[in-house]
Amino acid sequence: MRDVLKQATDAINQVLLGKQQAVRLAVACILAKGHLLIEDLPGMGKTTLSQALARVMGLSYQRIQFTSDLLPGDILGTSVFDRNTGAFVFHPGPIFAELVLADEINRATPKSQSALLEAMEEGQVTVDGATRPLPEPFFVIATQNPASQGGTFSLPESQLDRFLMRLSLGYPAPAAEKVLLQGDTGRARLDTLAPVLSRAQLQALQAQVPQITASEAIIDYILRLVTRTRESHLCAWGLSPRASLGLLAAARAWAMLENRGYVIPEDVQAVLPAVVGHRLRASDDPAGHGGGSLAQRLLNEVSAV
Amino acid sequence: MSGHALIPRNSLVWLLTAQIVALMPHLPRLPLWVAGLWLGCAIWRVQIQRMRWGYPGLPVRMLALAAVTLGVYLAQGTLIGLDAAVMLLLMLFMLKLLEMRKPRDALVVIYLGLFIVATAFLFDQSIALALFQCFSLLVLVAALVGLQQTPGRNDPARAMRTGGILLLQAVPLMLVLFVLFPRMGPLWAVNTPGQQARTGLAESMAPADVAELARSAELAFRVAFDGAVPAQPQLYWRAMTLTSFDGRRWSQSPLASGSMPRNWVPQGEPYRYQVITSASHQPWVFSLRGASSDDERLLLNRDFILQARRPLSQGMAYRATSYPDSLLEPQELEPLQRQLSLQLPEGMDPRSRAFADELRQQHPDDAELLQALLSHFNREPFHYTLRPAPLGRHSNDEFLFDSRRGFCAHFAGAMTFVLRAAGIPARVVAGYQGGEVNPRGNYVLVHQFDAHAWVEAWLPGQGWISVDPTFQVAPERIEQGLQEALQGEGSFLEGSPLTAVRYRNIGWLNNARLFWDDLNYQWQLRVLGYQSDRQTEFFRRWLGSADWQRIGLVSLVIILLCMLPMAWWILRPARRQLNRQGRAWLKLNRRLARLQLQAATGEGPRAWEQRLLLALPGQRVEISRFFDEYVRLAYASRQPGGGGSPQLERRLCALLRALPRSRPPRPITLAGLPDGESGR
Repeated sequence: MRDVLKQATDAINQVLLGKQQAVRLAVACILAKGHLLIEDLPGMGKTTLSQALARVMGLSYQRIQFTSDLLPGDILGTSVFDRNTGAFVFHPGPIFAELVLADEINRATPKSQSALLEAMEEGQVTVDGATRPLPEPFFVIATQNPASQGGTFSLPESQLDRFLMRLSLGYPAPAAEKVLLQGDTGRARLDTLAPVLSRAQLQALQAQVPQITASEAIIDYILRLVTRTRESHLCAWGLSPRASLGLLAAARAWAMLENRGYVIPEDVQAVLPAVVGHRLRASDDPAGHGGGSLAQRLLNEVSAV
Repeated sequence: MSGHALIPRNSLVWLLTAQIVALMPHLPRLPLWVAGLWLGCAIWRVQIQRMRWGYPGLPVRMLALAAVTLGVYLAQGTLIGLDAAVMLLLMLFMLKLLEMRKPRDALVVIYLGLFIVATAFLFDQSIALALFQCFSLLVLVAALVGLQQTPGRNDPARAMRTGGILLLQAVPLMLVLFVLFPRMGPLWAVNTPGQQARTGLAESMAPADVAELARSAELAFRVAFDGAVPAQPQLYWRAMTLTSFDGRRWSQSPLASGSMPRNWVPQGEPYRYQVITSASHQPWVFSLRGASSDDERLLLNRDFILQARRPLSQGMAYRATSYPDSLLEPQELEPLQRQLSLQLPEGMDPRSRAFADELRQQHPDDAELLQALLSHFNREPFHYTLRPAPLGRHSNDEFLFDSRRGFCAHFAGAMTFVLRAAGIPARVVAGYQGGEVNPRGNYVLVHQFDAHAWVEAWLPGQGWISVDPTFQVAPERIEQGLQEALQGEGSFLEGSPLTAVRYRNIGWLNNARLFWDDLNYQWQLRVLGYQSDRQTEFFRRWLGSADWQRIGLVSLVIILLCMLPMAWWILRPARRQLNRQGRAWLKLNRRLARLQLQAATGEGPRAWEQRLLLALPGQRVEISRFFDEYVRLAYASRQPGGGGSPQLERRLCALLRALPRSRPPRPITLAGLPDGESGR
């Protein structure tokens, strides 16, 4: 069954060229039931990645373009009066999909952002006093341009913490870009993608992730990593327990992608930059973009064995 | 700590606390406005922290510096000398608060604080201060720790605990340094604090001075005898001889100081003892009659009194031997000495002179005359009191024939006067008489109120003999002490109602006082008294010799021996409690280190394996086997240790056997960097 994971990542890699690492992390994020934040400049393939993921995983897909005048109702849905039945009928918003792409999330106002973020945390939405469950699985990919761009509302730390991983795609390698320029565009290929997984299969895989063995040695390693962030002078604050839980879950998912029944330190190291990069802030960096280098220092300075 | 960070609030609180504590021992010596200055600086600094006020500009700081310097000058009368310098330092310590912007400045304040803790010992070396300064050190180190705390973990108790642990770790080193560090002479002469107000004997004696001393319960010195403590009447502690008399005061003759050939004959059983005095800033030391000492700091003056070569600027312990029955200058008295010992002011005390002539006519023999004079004191209604009637111009006349009330100084002065008038060379000896035995440490405590004056007269053939007219009048003063002698009068320690000595009859209080004194005695003897001579003695005893090469070597060895366990302790967390695979891992890595192969800190097992496979292509099989087993044991099961299979050890042995002795140098390519794909 785990072979399908390889097929799935291979399929996505054919659309998003030369980004194997990011694709694997994104797949691991879905397996660990986490939400994904992709932060990069426009045109780097953020949307392509999310659409490809949705297709390959066989999930229903909705895209919400966040703008500064977006209202919470535009995300969650509204009740409309039906003249025939004489009652209000709820028209579900785009959030009622299995994979939601919240594009350019930092362009919306905090009020609208929090509507989405609440749904992410609770797995349900409350509109007009009625609580409605969101589909299962429910997976949000948010994209944003680098936070300090003009006209944006950057996500506060508490909301960043809701995302299991933050990825940055980066420029493609010249070879990959050459293929891109020579052949069909990624978008065109997207339509040819066939679902590799069914929803049931995905849920089964997600259920298997917590079964992956994490030995005491691995738990200790994660504790050392987390403790270092809490005690180091370089970090403005340490990692939360939610972060350490997320780190373990992501490492398990990564081990599953590696087709291994247990976690080894390399799994933790593979997911660590993506999991903690957006949760750390260097104490001498008010803008908060130093998380990546802090994660790298953690990897180098905390003994793995 | 980043260089441009501000001083966090909690470390400011620590710093202010540390400042108060460091300043406290100095405060009693300083004028009150100093406390006000500190309060002002502290409030200003707190207001800066609250962003209400700004830092003072250069003119204000200059002004403050000038004002403080002026203040020190006004308070001390000078800017030179220890008192003034320390006071100035304290002022600047306080002012530093106002330019404390960055953590680096706070460090300066803390280091200054440490120095100020040390300066307090220039003025006082008691146990109480030492204990308090331990506390000061603790607070200062805690402030230092507080400065390094991150915002999330700024628990003051934690800083205190860390500081305490740091200090405890320093204790062994401190002990080693205390024992071994060379006691050098002063590098520069410091004018030690001139404490004029100190009680104690002075160069000259008027009766009022002795009465003044009798009101002080301060400790004069302590004596430890080898063997039993002699009876009270034996304990005449000679400090100085007073030869010149001007009609009012008895004072030292300038000739008295300085050594001379000692024509004296030791006789009888000697007493051997050790005297521990505190700093008196006077040259006198205390000894029994017929004393001699090997101590280089002491000399025996021409009146057979031990004297220090330099005023005692710090406490001193010396050993002496006394032959109390010895003959002092028995044969001949030097003419000049004789003349000085007969000197009397012209035209004073006519009645006393007449009395002396009368005695001389009755008793042509000197010894008989002396006896007769003593029995005169015994027979006539003389009265021992600390509240004598005031005396006029002819003080001896009035005392001998009118008031007849007085204490030792009156009796000794009058007797010497009469003896001289009768032609017998005589002098007053000032010192202490008696003392209190502390059974706890078996030593004698001599207080200021034991101050006493008696007479030495010269008789041909017998030399200088000691006589004490006070004994004739009030024998209980000599046999039991001043408190007994003044029982009826109630003037003992008048004016110091809070002195513990006054309440000697309350059992537990007296015990507590003696216990505390014993503690102080041991402190003085063993800690403060551990000076170069005792250090040399210590080295001789334990090392066989006292040459500095050997001592240096031994200290190095001892320091190393102290540091090694500490280093082990500090580096210990690196080796966590190891289970089976941990030990195997360590063993392998130690072996590989000899081949210049070392795992990076953050390197996982598979990445390390990849690197090894590249570096040691000849051992691929063994390496892979070991690492497979290692990863299986460490990570594939939830139980730590991973079962009892000795498979890992076998594979480790196989790998270790297969490893080459040495390896041709060859660049290691880094494989399996933590970007995932840990190659398989």
